[in-house]
Amino acid sequence: MGEQWMFYFDPNRCIGCHACSISCKQRHDRDAEADDWRTVTHLSSGEYPDFQELPISMSCMHCHDAPCEKVCPPNAIEKREEDGIVTVDRDRCIGCHYCGWACPYGAPTYGDDGLMSKCNMCLGEGPGGGHGQPEKQKAEDGGAKPSCVDNCVGEAIKAGPQSEVMAEASQAAAKRFENEAYNARVIVEPVDENAEAAAEIREEGEEAADWLNG
Amino acid sequence: MAQRVIRMSELSLFALFTEFHWLPADYWDLSIPVYLYLAVVAGGAYLTGASACYIRARREAGPCCLENEIARWGFMLSVAAAAGAGLAVLSHLAVIYRAILFPIYLTNFGSWITIGTWILVGLSVFAVVCLVLQLFGENAAADDGASLFPRAIVARLGVLDTLDELVDRVRPPMNVFAGLHVVGSLLALATIYTGFELAIVETVPLWNEPVLVPALFLISGVAAGIGLTLGVTLLFEREIGPVYGGYATVVGVLSGISLVLVGYGWQALATSNSPAAAASYVHLTTGSLYLGSLLVVVGFLLPLVAGLAIGIGALTGRVSGTVERVGGPVLIGSFGLLVIGGLALRIVLLLAAEQAPVVVVG
Repeated sequence: MGEQWMFYFDPNRCIGCHACSISCKQRHDRDAEADDWRTVTHLSSGEYPDFQELPISMSCMHCHDAPCEKVCPPNAIEKREEDGIVTVDRDRCIGCHYCGWACPYGAPTYGDDGLMSKCNMCLGEGPGGGHGQPEKQKAEDGGAKPSCVDNCVGEAIKAGPQSEVMAEASQAAAKRFENEAYNARVIVEPVDENAEAAAEIREEGEEAADWLNG
Repeated sequence: MAQRVIRMSELSLFALFTEFHWLPADYWDLSIPVYLYLAVVAGGAYLTGASACYIRARREAGPCCLENEIARWGFMLSVAAAAGAGLAVLSHLAVIYRAILFPIYLTNFGSWITIGTWILVGLSVFAVVCLVLQLFGENAAADDGASLFPRAIVARLGVLDTLDELVDRVRPPMNVFAGLHVVGSLLALATIYTGFELAIVETVPLWNEPVLVPALFLISGVAAGIGLTLGVTLLFEREIGPVYGGYATVVGVLSGISLVLVGYGWQALATSNSPAAAASYVHLTTGSLYLGSLLVVVGFLLPLVAGLAIGIGALTGRVSGTVERVGGPVLIGSFGLLVIGGLALRIVLLLAAEQAPVVVVG
């Protein structure tokens, strides 16, 4: 089995701009009304002047234990041996939604045709685009960078083989991952309690986003 | 679907960061509780029919006995419920033909949907075979009763004699017949899979009870299947004798066990530390779902009281004149409530479900 690809997320660097989810829709030619394969949730607490907000960007985590794959009756969902990416063969899907029940992250989405589609780490394009594709390659080897990673202004999202993502994560995040946080399905940086540091990072990101948006 | 996320750096922040929503309706289509329910009702009705055949054989009862009526109604309702379950689940699917071609498409035998499909189809086949054997042939021709109405339909088609002859020709010997009932009864009990379909969903604490939920689904569904068969039988055969009393007692006992399981689950939910369980508890104790919860309790309580009181009386031959007069309507009413309560149980369990939020560790 090849090395498992996985996502990394740093909530301290996320500015909540939704570039990840919008670019995902564009890459995969998804309707504006369609459910997002990648969602950005804004968690808030407190009231002015002690108001705090924490944006969280999430998608299919391509779990090492893929609960969706286990429950899929027609074996339409595959946890790939070669790169660990979870894909769906929509020519087998019966649209029973059982994967939606089983997924802890609410990743499966269902279109008007009732068939499941979700993030395929940009292995291919469009619903079901990942199924049957050759092994995921890194960008430097000619592979496509996941659009969410490519378009994240704050570099809050990363993706790659587990060892490489672990090498880029902070010691605290790596340790937590090794301690089975999130069932070792995704590497997440601890939330920086230093509000000033976090605000600075977000300010930088927001300036970059403003510049990009003209 | 927007995913709920909470941050747990401090427990006090929990409420601030927690936002519970109803899960999107297309996940919890009404067809799902109907499917989960009718599959077990089919099992319960089959068990009633098979056991009536067994009692008839042991008592060496002749034609026109109550066991014949119970057996035929049991198998008939089993076929109808299994067909209803199948149609309900098919109506929920996006690509129906792939589900109909299940031997080709449903290849993941680790999935409860695949396992359940084979169980339901197997039970349907056994129920149809048993029903045909009960409805046609020399013995059925000599029998009498409302449950024989399909014979009138077949007679209108002009093939009744042919069918009677054919069924007598292929009728298996007694030991094969008994084997048929044993396998069919095992399939009927295997409808416990409907509980496992929910119980394995780890992210919903309301369902994630691998013993409680399957046991509750099986016992309450079988009780409803037996109750439904008895209720329909009693509509046409007003006599409450020892055989009927025995069945009514069983329904009472099963309703009581269901009630105990519901109470245990309720207690576990009320004392759970999981936020999703707490949210489910709030749903079940407020608004329309509270009425549903009450319906579930009443739906098990009345058959418990009526089934045991009238059932044990009839079983032991100690039924007073008054009880004999009102016993029929009371049993029909309480068994009807049991059937409604069993469905209400599944509906509230699905609608009150809350998925455990993803935790962002601070």
